[in-house]
Amino acid sequence: MTQFFNYAVPGVPFGCVFALMAVGLVLTYKASGVFNLAFGAQAFVSALAYVSLIQDDWPRWAAGVIAVLVIGPFVGVILDRLLFRRIRTASPLVKLVPSLGLLVALPQVALIIAGSEPVIPPPAILGNAQRVYVHLGPVPLSGLELSISVVTVVVVVALVVLFRFTPVGLEMRAVVESPRMTELAGVNAGRVSAFAWILSSVMAALAGVLLAPLYSQLDPQNFTVLLVWGVAGAVIGRFSSLPLAFVGGLALGVAQQVIAGYMPAGVIANGLRPSLPFVVLLVFLPMARQRQFDDPLSGCDPPSSAVERATSGYRSASTFAASDGTVRSVGLWHRRLVGGAGDRAPGLLTRRPTATLAWAVAALAVVSALTWVPPDWLLTMTQGVAFAVIFLSLTLLTGMTGQISLCQATFAGIGGFMAGQLANHVGLPVVMGMVAGGVLAALLGVLVAIPTLRLAGLPLALATLAFALLADNILFPNSWIGNGAGGVTVPRPSAGPVSFAASKPFFVLSLVILAAAAGVVKLVGDGTIGRYLSAVRGSELAANAVGIDVYRLRILVFALSAALAGVGGALYGSLEGSLSPDSFNYQISAVLLVVVAIVGLRSITGAVVAGVVYTTLQVAVTTLPSRFAGLVAVLFGLATLSYTRHPEGFLDYLGARVQNAIAHRRAGRLDARRPTTGPGGGADGVPVAIGGAVAPAGEVAG
Amino acid sequence: MSGDALLVASGVTKRFGGIMALDHVDLTVDAGEAVGIVGPNGAGKTTFFNCLFGLVEPDDGTIVFAGRRIDRLPVWKRSRLGIGRTFQRMELFEGMTVADHLLVAEQAASGTVRIWRDFLHRGGPTPTELHHVEQVLDLLGLADMADRPVDTLDLGHGRLVELGRAMMGTPRLLMLDEPSSGLDSGDTARLARILAETRRSTGVAVVLVEHDLALVESTVDRLVVLNFGKVLATGGVSQVLGDPEVRRAYLGTTV
Repeated sequence: MTQFFNYAVPGVPFGCVFALMAVGLVLTYKASGVFNLAFGAQAFVSALAYVSLIQDDWPRWAAGVIAVLVIGPFVGVILDRLLFRRIRTASPLVKLVPSLGLLVALPQVALIIAGSEPVIPPPAILGNAQRVYVHLGPVPLSGLELSISVVTVVVVVALVVLFRFTPVGLEMRAVVESPRMTELAGVNAGRVSAFAWILSSVMAALAGVLLAPLYSQLDPQNFTVLLVWGVAGAVIGRFSSLPLAFVGGLALGVAQQVIAGYMPAGVIANGLRPSLPFVVLLVFLPMARQRQFDDPLSGCDPPSSAVERATSGYRSASTFAASDGTVRSVGLWHRRLVGGAGDRAPGLLTRRPTATLAWAVAALAVVSALTWVPPDWLLTMTQGVAFAVIFLSLTLLTGMTGQISLCQATFAGIGGFMAGQLANHVGLPVVMGMVAGGVLAALLGVLVAIPTLRLAGLPLALATLAFALLADNILFPNSWIGNGAGGVTVPRPSAGPVSFAASKPFFVLSLVILAAAAGVVKLVGDGTIGRYLSAVRGSELAANAVGIDVYRLRILVFALSAALAGVGGALYGSLEGSLSPDSFNYQISAVLLVVVAIVGLRSITGAVVAGVVYTTLQVAVTTLPSRFAGLVAVLFGLATLSYTRHPEGFLDYLGARVQNAIAHRRAGRLDARRPTTGPGGGADGVPVAIGGAVAPAGEVAG
Repeated sequence: MSGDALLVASGVTKRFGGIMALDHVDLTVDAGEAVGIVGPNGAGKTTFFNCLFGLVEPDDGTIVFAGRRIDRLPVWKRSRLGIGRTFQRMELFEGMTVADHLLVAEQAASGTVRIWRDFLHRGGPTPTELHHVEQVLDLLGLADMADRPVDTLDLGHGRLVELGRAMMGTPRLLMLDEPSSGLDSGDTARLARILAETRRSTGVAVVLVEHDLALVESTVDRLVVLNFGKVLATGGVSQVLGDPEVRRAYLGTTV
């Protein structure tokens, strides 16, 4: 018992911080409907401000007050105003992508503003972080642990007073229970939600400032890992109960220390601790989902915006018929089967201008790559092709089913490591190894899918995020998988007399693999599976009722998507010659999703362009001077913000604009060809009719 | 219209907390027979319906369809055994065309996810599947709307699409949950006509939950009245509707 006590007490300060984070997450989730994954970034921003101010010789208490009570709420209010307020009722993907993008971009922006990274180790807000002040029984308590506990107690008392005894606290409790009900009762829920954002941002800032002394240097990554504990706490609170979330966070902090104490050192102990959030998520998420339906007015949400509805999901041949009016479904098949000619669609350039343009650019790029392009460019292009294969896995999964996976990079890593290990130890040819890697990733995908795919939307995304962290911590460090920091070498393939070791043959091989992957996505999307999936998107209940085994269908697509990611990862590994676990950690997963969502999840072209964009960004970050590298992050953040306005993706947005322009031109020509009828020409309805036909498909369908 | 028992539900019981939603309800539907289920609001009609179809798991009782226990099967398996249904609150596949609705149902009814077929044959429909789709389109008078997205249809035609979707894969039992709700009398009359025509040409059995007594009378052979989760009366339409106890429960007036 004393031993348990010895282990448990040091966990309390951690638990306090996790609890603050969990409470902050639940507050904004219930008040504004957004699960704010940028919370970790907010914590980092305040911690950075705190340490920077102290480095500039500010007293610690003043630095703390500025960081927690000024900078924290300021960032929160900006995010609420600019972004989160606008996406309250959007789909889970549209809500998640911006906060993921900010999670990556916000720390970089803060570092640019701060000018330079602080060099001093972060001090505790009260006392000396390392010095032991008192003993609780046999357990020594350091200044860090004391300051965290004291501040948390103060905050909890303040929160209780606020919620129990003030009008705004009462309103906030009501908003957390049901925002719509509260509005019906005459409360300005927008104002209350703004207050909730401020409060939540203070929590984030506190968590950042309190935990900063744990690390010898500030690193955004540390705060992201902490975020996952907060998320687990919020899930224990079922996304809705503040006290439960607090208790959950506290319990997690204690539990992780106890586990670390009792377990023998080594991979399992070091692995079991980080995997605790994953286990908690798997156990508690199903309950959290139940709870969400309890809001009596949840059915009264305004429908998602017309653009979003008209553009969600992959454009398969049959759903395409709906959006652009060309008859491409059964009618056309029928005519094809009975031998008649289908109606000829309008010219290629008019129908899908961006896709056609992309094909032309791609052809030009391939010819260039094989003739005059310098070797390092060719390397970048090949990387783009490899990542395009990984992006296709998201086109398949997220584009077609609407499900969000934050562990695609994990599958890519598994595929790459597998190919390398098999080549090194068994002597399996690398091309075969790529296939084996894909198969293994698919099997792992099934394992992940079975417990998680009963979830959907946000809970699924969180579960896959937790899985990615789990894999980073206990799968990849193993010598027979990712070999820890050492990484795994992956040779270039050769097929009999043909060697793909040189860069040009390898580029061609990559293109062949990309084409095969694209073929798989296209066949699935246009085939029975694609049709089933769009039925499930339309109504899961009715899809079940016509005999579709929705659960199995999802597992199948998830596995197929994991396989594509695995093949892409193996291809990338073979290109680079070696892979380390960091090549495909959980952050990469998040960045991949954000990039492809911004570019376009609805088409194969989108995945290819995303591959190009992603590698170009990487080159820019690594080759530009560090100040400009930060600018790339800023651009990334801005693109994320613009995504909420164009959830159909940049490519489709561009396509609609170009189509629009072409139609306008045509309308102009038509007008010019008409015999001049004087000013009455405009009045007889022609421009109006054309105007109707010209409007972007999304708006018409809405 | 008598024959072999197609659907036999016996002793179906469901409690929600302290409320006895269904109290040992029995129902037998013969092959090709049409049975109406009526009763006042809250009588347990929809709960019973959902128990039969698999959306609600009964606490007690057995359900046998075509000689097979189905009360523990998931919805999609019951559907593949030959039960089609429509929903009181319309559930269409938003964004898909009318013909695609029927095609999805036709392909799903035959079972497997055909990933190899997708890879080898590009996933288009077979001539047989197309033929079935066209047959049903003709039967419902939807042929000229085949390629329209369902979002552009009015409620009446939307209900017909739901009915057509339920009829794909040649089911032996159609379960219709208030198909007339929200329709005007013209649409309802058309629905009644099409239902009668469907039964004549396919011989499908029907279970109908409905408030519109005109539609009920023109469709069903037999009527079951539920009240407070119990079977109050069963028998021919005019006989049951003439029953004073039924009138009291249903119309809430003393006659």
